[in-house]
Amino acid sequence: MPWAKEEDFIELKKRFSSLEIEVKPTITNLHISKSELIELLKALKEEKGYKLFIDHSVVDFPDKSPRFQAFYILYNVDERKRIVVKTWTDGTLPSIEKLWFAGKWAERECYDMFGIIYEGHENLVRAFMWETYQYHPLRKDFPLEGYANDYLPSLNEVLWGDNLQGLMNYDKMHTPVPTLEDLEITEKKRLKKKAQLVLNWGPLHPGTHGTMWFLFDLEGERVVQCDVILGQLHRGVEKLAENEMYNQFLVYTDRMDYISALCSNQAWVVAVERLLGIEDLVPEKAKYIRTMMSELQRINSHLLWLGTYALDIGALTIFLYAFKEREKLMDIIEGITGARLTISYPRVGGVRMDLPEGALEVIKAFVKRFPKELKDWETILSRNRVWLRRNTGVGVVNREDVYFYGLTGAVARGSGIPYDIRKFEPYDAYPWVEFDIPVGENGDVYDRYLVRLEEMRQSLRIIEQCVSKLENMPKSAPFFAESPDPKKLKIPLDGIGLKVPEGEIYSSGENPRGELGFYIYSTGGVKPYRVKIRPGSMYNLCVYPKLMKDRVIADAVAVLASLDPVVGEIDR
Amino acid sequence: MEGLLAQLIIIGAKILVILAVVLGLGAYLTLVERKVAAHIQRRPGPMVVGWHGLLQPLADGLKLITKEDIFPRSGNRFLYNLALVLALVPAVLVFAVVPFGPEFEVFGLKVKPILTDVNVGLLLVFALGSMAVYAIALAGWASNSKYALIGSMRKAGIIVSYEVVITFAVMGPIILAGTLSTYEIVQNQIEQKLWYLWVQPIAFVIYLFALLAETGRVPFDIQEAEAELVTGFTVEYGGIKFGLFPLVEWYVEVLSLSAIGVVLFLGGWSPINIPFVGFVDPLFFLGPLSPFVWFVLKVGLLFLFVLWLHWTLPRYRIDQITETAWKVMLPLTFVNLVLTAIIAPIVWR
Amino acid sequence: MIKKVFERPLSWLERIFFIDFIKGLSVTIRHAFSKTITTHYPYEKLTPPKRFRGFFGHKVVDGREPQPAFDEWVERFKIDVQPGKSRCVVCMLCKRACPVPQLFEIEGEKLPNGRRRVSVFNMNMMLCTFCGFCVDACPVDCLFQSDIHETASYTRKDSVLDLNTLERIGRDWQKRREQEPDRIWIDDQQRMRLWYENDLTLPEVKRK
Repeated sequence: MPWAKEEDFIELKKRFSSLEIEVKPTITNLHISKSELIELLKALKEEKGYKLFIDHSVVDFPDKSPRFQAFYILYNVDERKRIVVKTWTDGTLPSIEKLWFAGKWAERECYDMFGIIYEGHENLVRAFMWETYQYHPLRKDFPLEGYANDYLPSLNEVLWGDNLQGLMNYDKMHTPVPTLEDLEITEKKRLKKKAQLVLNWGPLHPGTHGTMWFLFDLEGERVVQCDVILGQLHRGVEKLAENEMYNQFLVYTDRMDYISALCSNQAWVVAVERLLGIEDLVPEKAKYIRTMMSELQRINSHLLWLGTYALDIGALTIFLYAFKEREKLMDIIEGITGARLTISYPRVGGVRMDLPEGALEVIKAFVKRFPKELKDWETILSRNRVWLRRNTGVGVVNREDVYFYGLTGAVARGSGIPYDIRKFEPYDAYPWVEFDIPVGENGDVYDRYLVRLEEMRQSLRIIEQCVSKLENMPKSAPFFAESPDPKKLKIPLDGIGLKVPEGEIYSSGENPRGELGFYIYSTGGVKPYRVKIRPGSMYNLCVYPKLMKDRVIADAVAVLASLDPVVGEIDR
Repeated sequence: MEGLLAQLIIIGAKILVILAVVLGLGAYLTLVERKVAAHIQRRPGPMVVGWHGLLQPLADGLKLITKEDIFPRSGNRFLYNLALVLALVPAVLVFAVVPFGPEFEVFGLKVKPILTDVNVGLLLVFALGSMAVYAIALAGWASNSKYALIGSMRKAGIIVSYEVVITFAVMGPIILAGTLSTYEIVQNQIEQKLWYLWVQPIAFVIYLFALLAETGRVPFDIQEAEAELVTGFTVEYGGIKFGLFPLVEWYVEVLSLSAIGVVLFLGGWSPINIPFVGFVDPLFFLGPLSPFVWFVLKVGLLFLFVLWLHWTLPRYRIDQITETAWKVMLPLTFVNLVLTAIIAPIVWR
Repeated sequence: MIKKVFERPLSWLERIFFIDFIKGLSVTIRHAFSKTITTHYPYEKLTPPKRFRGFFGHKVVDGREPQPAFDEWVERFKIDVQPGKSRCVVCMLCKRACPVPQLFEIEGEKLPNGRRRVSVFNMNMMLCTFCGFCVDACPVDCLFQSDIHETASYTRKDSVLDLNTLERIGRDWQKRREQEPDRIWIDDQQRMRLWYENDLTLPEVKRK
């Protein structure tokens, strides 16, 4: 487990009087008072090497005083250790914007959801809701259904004498809906116009990967400033999580990063298993199946990335070739799990069903042919002079930026840092398979492209090893965990009655897009108290305004596609 | 009097043939492009309307004509419609100086299958090409929208740069042929028993790239880049007005410029050429129709090659396109001119 | 463990003779003369695999229930068993396992002979996430997911499945597809058109 030990912080205890170190089996916390918070974070970042910013958010305890507990998660890449810094506050916090830029976006989200005011923040605006929204949704006194104050009768139009009885009736009063004036106020507060014209790129545009709203301040064709307005796809997943049981929340994790649903499912299931402590009870067959499906999904996701990236740059046929291979992968996943996009196949304790007949032969046939297809596409793209000209030297991210902006996934690997959760904190069958991590040199868009192509080949290697292992396992090997003592710890297949003891954990998985992390705070019972989802795409996106400064608009597409964001994960 | 009447009838017939063929062919070329693109992408393309989709252009045309004509509230209506006219007319007018075949006799009258054989035919072609800039700039300005403006400024910049390049590139064949009339250039190639392609490879490649840039085809279609500008300067046009812009740009202009390219470099209506030796004609059995078939075949092959490039290559960025034009292609044309001047006496003999 | 990726810049020979373009063009032309792989929907349709998670159904009592579980649950809740009607024992486990419990509306009624029977079972498909937790939770193998995926309708009422519709889907499934082995998919012609280039040979599975 990559949690830091108490010995590392002995000398810090002498400098900071209110520092308390708490070491639990699933997490290591450093408790500090609010006045010494910035000093401690600076000391951790500069002297102890905890340079990578992972996450920051707040847990609400309405019957305690002070009310909010803020936490900051940091990571040391060289020594591979993680630490959580906690403090208590009543409603204000100092801003960590100067230490990590990614903290600026995390703080905007906390202000939006909890109403915490950050001192020293340069532009404290709401992250997901529109500016004139009055409430703070994630507080415990905000009801799950919201405040239905707006009158919207149009949802109940009656056609042909349709009798609106029973389950289908919508109420005439609705929760608040933004108007055009609200959106204009949001846009004005976000970006102060300095140059010739402000171009709205989005939120409905075929070039942005989803409903993201970019504002470009243009001088001719050159971008002077750039900012992003998020929240068009915000569905309140974290609020819903406080009302669902642990197994039922699995359904929401597919819909966040809908392109790589199996990897998100696996990350959640592994987090709950680690919190329960039943990682060793999960049978070997289930671990191999989960790993194999996750790698298939990784290839699937990278194929979609490649198709849309080439489409945006202009090579229109690669899109359809990539989707041909994606069809085959989705046929495989459909035959094994039953669904193509929102999958929910892993369960807490194993997988839902065993593999059907013929699955391994189909996967072997796919794996045999796929490298040839990859080679074909590389012939069209990789050494093409137009492609090289368009991609080299564009969107360069250097090593310090990776730590400052909290970048993970292929973006960090393209800049030379071999950050891969599958090697740093292995889960499932990853400790038992062999694979390499591709790492780039310059950190430009072309290197990220090469890194992702190489990742596809490494995924093929993992799948081959898993298939040969699964072929040799007997048919009757179990695919779901058996609890050693059903009275004390129940692990049901359908999830009813799964009780989790008190505790907290942060656990992450390697999504194709970055690091998807779950911070679960549990006070016992069947439903979690607070779930914070660390989206890889959101922190990868926060480097976009810096990369777009002084560039032409035509680069906007290339840079955005190389960061590979998915709005479902950013907005949750 | 009789001679004048006969001449008028012949000219009327030629105009009708050219208009019918060009506009009708333009519409059917949309189907050809969709089918070729589809087969490159391993799918069948339009298959429902008519047998294997042959009636699809009619369906598309009907749909576009019956669509609502949307106009932006504060646009300039006169310029908005004028831009369309300015785009369509020069593109079709280029076909007035394209020679389809050698002179033939019908009813005792000598008929040249070219609408007007002016002795400055090539100059007319490039003058008409330059008028395309007006259409684009006016369309972008009259739409009163930021996206349209950016798109039209980009396209206008590209066309202006590549007009210069194309003019210098064709100076090579002009020197070798010694005349600006398109009919006589082909005749000189037949007399000298040489396609100018064999002695002017650099000029041919540059002409091909300039063709792609002028007509807005990949790798120079930064104008239509869907991911950034969503159809660029035509974004505020609807219905048949929207349908006519790509028809003119992508199909009629490509046809006309590739016809001029065939005339300049590939010997017009002559059959397969062995340099300095003579011609070989595998289609001799078609008799007097054979030159026309060769011309159509060559233009068709060049068009298919342009399509093939479109669906394979990615596209350049706007500053890279103009940079390539001024820094790479223009100096190469000067080098080509010098080389042509050296080998010209051999060709003229 | 760590693999460096990089690409050499283009050489002068490649630049002058456009070799990079020519290689790309040769790949495209090879694809242009290969067979097409698409399915011409709606004139041709793919058959979903056996595990497909489509619309729901109730299996009816026909003698193939999972014993001894069925008898135990019937005795625990005193259910009146009728051949040809749904196997449901009104245990409400599906509603407890569902992430969106509001979509289920389940009621049982007491018959004159003292036994109980399910009377109302409405599932609102507009709220359903098609996850299959309810299918895992049902102890008597009654609720299941069929392969119906073309479910567009004109009124909201058509997306609510009531007990008659569920039984109808169940009877149709038991007749048509329940005896199929648990294979990854059916080898129909449309699927082979996509997979022909992979040289796929699936083993035959003995039918039960």
